[in-house]
Amino acid sequence: MATTIDFKFALEQVPEVLKGVPVTLTIAIVAMVLGLVFGLLIALCRIYKVPVLNQLSIVYISFIRGTPLVVQLYVFFYGVPVLFDFLNHHFGLNLNADEVPTMIYALIAYTINTAAYEAEIFRASINAVNAGQMEAAYSVGMTTAQGLYRIVLPQAFVVAFPNLGNTFIGLIKATSLAFAVKVVEILAITRIIANNGYKFLEMYLVASIIYWIICWVCEVIFAKLEKKMSRYEKQMDLKTTA
Amino acid sequence: MKVVSKINTSLQDWADLFLKVLDKLPLTLFMLVTSLFFALILGVIIAIIRIQKPPILYGIATFYLSFTRCTPLLVQLFLVYFGLPQLLLVFNIDINSWNRLVFVIITFSFHTAAYLSEVIRSAYLAVGTEQLEAAYSVGMTYTQALRRIILPQAFVISLPNLGNNIIELLKDTSLAFSIGIIDIMGQVRIILGNNHGMGMFEIYVVISLVYWGTCILIEGIIGYAEKVFKKGRVSLSK
Repeated sequence: MATTIDFKFALEQVPEVLKGVPVTLTIAIVAMVLGLVFGLLIALCRIYKVPVLNQLSIVYISFIRGTPLVVQLYVFFYGVPVLFDFLNHHFGLNLNADEVPTMIYALIAYTINTAAYEAEIFRASINAVNAGQMEAAYSVGMTTAQGLYRIVLPQAFVVAFPNLGNTFIGLIKATSLAFAVKVVEILAITRIIANNGYKFLEMYLVASIIYWIICWVCEVIFAKLEKKMSRYEKQMDLKTTA
Repeated sequence: MKVVSKINTSLQDWADLFLKVLDKLPLTLFMLVTSLFFALILGVIIAIIRIQKPPILYGIATFYLSFTRCTPLLVQLFLVYFGLPQLLLVFNIDINSWNRLVFVIITFSFHTAAYLSEVIRSAYLAVGTEQLEAAYSVGMTYTQALRRIILPQAFVISLPNLGNNIIELLKDTSLAFSIGIIDIMGQVRIILGNNHGMGMFEIYVVISLVYWGTCILIEGIIGYAEKVFKKGRVSLSK
């Protein structure tokens, strides 16, 4: 019994699947931005070897990079009610885990995951900036914070930018797991539609093409931004005329 | 959604959970090693295609790389597990009776091969053309130069990156449970079924510790391999 591939059905369902794109992009963008901030702070703790925070950061980064994202999502999802229970018991608060929107779970869990990877990226890129830059900043009277903010971090950001672009594209793909914390994004909608009518091949092809297009657009944007950012690194052409 | 949220598991219960989870660790490791094996072979082939640039194959390889690296692994897994039988039914080939493990290993191999091909390609390019020229100058053919000069050096250069990708593959195997494979993640379903839905938090903590431990083990092995194969090379880090 030969079956046919129902392309018409797939095309009709595309608008329905596209409803998940805002959710996907929200999780990715929020997790990226917050992950940047926290990742930077953690990287600075690691670089300046702040006493307790350094060891905690090492353990935190090792844990996040050593466990699958799915497991982290589940640990977070099932750990928060336990945490709330503990807080309610000991501090007499009245937190209810059921009232937290599922999106908040996803945003926090993805942020925690992204921050660890960003911390390593920033640590590498800040170390890549010449140490002489910081010394020069001290020599004109800047404090460490001023030197970081005005001299080192802008250069470090340019070095880190390709890696950040890769992280963002990885984040777009990672949002496909958000159904573990009951967030309905692109893949969740696709699974629901596919399971309803057993049209697996068509629907998953639609989903993969949508993800592909999103990633491709992101790649193009990041490539353009990268070119703009590294303008200061261009060498001057000194053409000597004899 | 009501979740039972009091932890009252004793030390005995924790040890119990650990043993139940570790029971299925061999299957996870089997998926890891098998997928890695096929991914390495496929990755080397694709890397060679991308380096030598034969006309049609290069286009196919680039298309395949773009697709595999831009779509989530879960989508690829569902595409292969649900979509491939449906596709082959059009040609009257019925593969619905294949073991689920086969679909999983096919997906992971193709997925990891894409990343490994880039790792191998960058390591090959990092060796440098001077080595190839020197090999030609003593009369070796390309294949001899590849086998005796370039690949040993490329292997050492690729080790850190290879280690990263092996760890990624281990974490990717955690998605196999979504199509019903009973590895350590799939074991969760069984344990929860037996405990009537209690103890979800504890068991995921146990699983994360198992993954963490295995990753640290793999990192150690790769670090040791680096030390062994790096003998005789002078590089920035001593």
